[in-house]
Amino acid sequence: MKTKLIFIPLTTLAACALYASDLPPVGSAAPDFSVPDTNGKTESLSEYKGKYVVLEWFNPECPFVKKHYGSDNMQKLQAEYTDKGVIWLTIDSNAPGTEGNLSADQAKRVMNSWKTRQTALLLDPQSKVAKLYGAKNTPNMVVINPDGKIVYEGAIDSKATPNPADIPSSTNYVKNALDESLAGKPVSNAQTKPYGCSVKYNKSS
Amino acid sequence: MRPLSVAASAILLAHSAFGQTYQGKELVKATLLADTYAIVPGKPCNAGLLLRMAPGWHTYWKFSGDAGLPTEIKWNLPPGWKVGEIQWPIPLKTNDPGDIQTYGYQDEVMLIQEITPPAKIDSSLVKLSAQADWLVCERICIPGSANLELELSTATSSEPKNTDLFARYRRLVPQDFPAAQTASSTWSRTGNDLHLKVTGEQIANYQTLDFFPLPQGNTVVGHPSVESRQGNEVTFKIPIESLDKNLSSMPGLIVFSKFPNGNERTAWRLGASQVAAATQPSRTSRGLLGFLFFGFIGGFILNLMPCVLPVISLKIFGFIKHAGKDRRGVFRNGVAFIAGIFVWFVGLALLLIGLKAAGHQITWAAQFTNPYFVLALSVIVLVFALDLFGVFEIALPQALMHKMLHSATREGEVGSFFQGVFATALATPCTAPFLGTAIGFSFTQSPLIILLMFVAVAAGMSAPYFLLSAQPAWMRFLPQPGPWMVNVKQFMGFLLLATLVFLIYVLGAQRGLEGAIWASCFLLIVSVACWMKGAFIVPASSAAKRMTSTVIMLALLLGSGVYLIGDKFRAAIPDLVQIQQGDWQPFTPERLQSERDQGHAVFVDFTAAWCLTCKFNEKAVLENSEVREAFQRHGVVKLKADWTNGDPTITKLLQQFGRPGVPLYVLYPGKSQEPVVFPELLTKNIILDKLETITVASR
Repeated sequence: MKTKLIFIPLTTLAACALYASDLPPVGSAAPDFSVPDTNGKTESLSEYKGKYVVLEWFNPECPFVKKHYGSDNMQKLQAEYTDKGVIWLTIDSNAPGTEGNLSADQAKRVMNSWKTRQTALLLDPQSKVAKLYGAKNTPNMVVINPDGKIVYEGAIDSKATPNPADIPSSTNYVKNALDESLAGKPVSNAQTKPYGCSVKYNKSS
Repeated sequence: MRPLSVAASAILLAHSAFGQTYQGKELVKATLLADTYAIVPGKPCNAGLLLRMAPGWHTYWKFSGDAGLPTEIKWNLPPGWKVGEIQWPIPLKTNDPGDIQTYGYQDEVMLIQEITPPAKIDSSLVKLSAQADWLVCERICIPGSANLELELSTATSSEPKNTDLFARYRRLVPQDFPAAQTASSTWSRTGNDLHLKVTGEQIANYQTLDFFPLPQGNTVVGHPSVESRQGNEVTFKIPIESLDKNLSSMPGLIVFSKFPNGNERTAWRLGASQVAAATQPSRTSRGLLGFLFFGFIGGFILNLMPCVLPVISLKIFGFIKHAGKDRRGVFRNGVAFIAGIFVWFVGLALLLIGLKAAGHQITWAAQFTNPYFVLALSVIVLVFALDLFGVFEIALPQALMHKMLHSATREGEVGSFFQGVFATALATPCTAPFLGTAIGFSFTQSPLIILLMFVAVAAGMSAPYFLLSAQPAWMRFLPQPGPWMVNVKQFMGFLLLATLVFLIYVLGAQRGLEGAIWASCFLLIVSVACWMKGAFIVPASSAAKRMTSTVIMLALLLGSGVYLIGDKFRAAIPDLVQIQQGDWQPFTPERLQSERDQGHAVFVDFTAAWCLTCKFNEKAVLENSEVREAFQRHGVVKLKADWTNGDPTITKLLQQFGRPGVPLYVLYPGKSQEPVVFPELLTKNIILDKLETITVASR
């Protein structure tokens, strides 16, 4: 027992030194990426330095994504904040052959029929961006500040259900994070457990 | 009326079964079942939501993992009915591409809940309805929902129904964590990882062990893994990915199986109760309360230490004097003495907290590494001894006396208070065995816990006085006062002088023979000053005589202080030769390293001249011929680390071993083996046994 006491400070030190999570924690620099959008234009995070950027993981087949698009909730958010100069990047990281993987044409059709309002929809069939951010869900939300730091990551809102009727009574974490950041305040709820379907990674990844 | 309307609305919507179809295929068949044919008023029964999934599709556990959603059941029950928690069967763990881990059920699952009807039911037929929501996933996920209904008649007795099904799923429900004698669990945290250590006989019997977490609130948990396992013990690592810095444990299941996700699985539920116990501020395996208890015991044992015993005798003596006199006075005196003890320890705790905050190294009895502290203590001990001999009377300054001296007891209380402070000041170098662990533990803790620890020690030390003061009746067992008390008092004076001898020995170790002599000269002057006070500065003498005496006395003290201490004592240096005793070599970290590199086993004795426990261990155990012979036979290199003067390299090592002070005994068996730490009170057998096992292992 007494010998164990020794290891408390030692292991704490070791663990602090060795700690490296597989996903960037809140407050750390957002990893840069370059992937094509639906128009074939390459979008990089670095080109939006100096602006707020929202990353939204997307899968049109996922009931949790449908919850927010079917109710117009996501489109309203996109419109409200892109109007304020926020860059909104929707990312489809689903691997080819899985549900939700979209070609550029399919993606454009979904965007038209759903009247989405994001800055761009990025096609990431190799799940590169999802891996960089440790994104495991659709929707999974990340908010990046003008310094390129992650200020929020997690769920879109507080009610983890696929039911659109729950939207009015839930707290929208992304809206709160953006409002607080834009007002120059720290984000009060900077990390939450995301909910939704899984991002469909390639089997070999 | 109300139950009827609820039942009526249920009839409109609900059926006992529902099929969820998607693109013409039935994905989930949901059925609501009861384990009884009829409802007996007041008698609990069970209802189960049975979900049958199409092959390849699954629904989720209470914690769904990285994706998915737990199934929900919302009951719509008439007033007076109660429903229990869902009894979730042990789920399966699934890994999907992209390191996505989920917990759920394939093919079929039944979620059982206990239903308690009210003691009186009016209608002969009851309809219980529930809204079930689930998410069923294969490669894609489809939410499902059903409003289901159970229609049961009421009766005075009933027969069980669906027995096989209920029995099967009840077996799959995790068991409560076993009683303490069968298994135990402890939590710790390093950085962003929680560690859960589980000990139990059952562990050795299973190929696969797993921890299924149940994170609360917004906590984001990583993927738990087995960190180490050996025999009856397994340690899980549970990474925390959210910023819950203070999270120190998490409910969950410990799952046993012969194969991963195999059929023959059992699980222990580590529920809120076990977790609540572990979420106490304590991060170590022995809980905070345990350590506080050790602090208390340690404090109690301090009373028996040779360095405090004389003062304690003084106190007991005081009790004798008061015994049978004034009970309230006795109690007030006792409380004052206890207050003195607490004030010292709390003051010490605050000082240590302050130093720790300022980034200083702190160690127990560290004040003893400062020769001026030892010198000051010597003066106090001497003055008290002279007081006991009757050379002079310690009295508070006249003005102060007047203010406080309404009753003799008042003065007694002030005296008691300082005796309490004094007794504890003397006790600190005696790191009693338990105290070491307890204090060591507290130094790794938050300020609040350090404070609590010291309060526990103070409580332990004052416990006997508290008992005697609160129950003065017990003092009947103490002898009657009389002239013999003067003799005892003077004899106590000699005990204090014995303590002084020890203190001078410490000074000698710190400042050499010369330093000890200069200090003794100063002490001699102090005695003369005390004698002058007793002889001339008394109310009987004239004011002029008193004045002159005081001036001479102060001049003597000041002059000798400046010359003997400020000059001679300060310049004295320790004699260097004394460290190397017999076959012991002086310790340096380099020496230790080189001996270990050469493959030698090394024993290090961390000691100090002022450490009585160390001296005792050395004489009784380490220098014992049998032990010496054993050290020699196993070719152990013996190093002595002398901490008398608070050598910082040794301080650092002590802290690495979680010890706030000496003694510390460490055996480094071989090159790659973990060092072995011995208890603070050595016995011959502990050393001999360890030497045997270690040397065999290293060969």
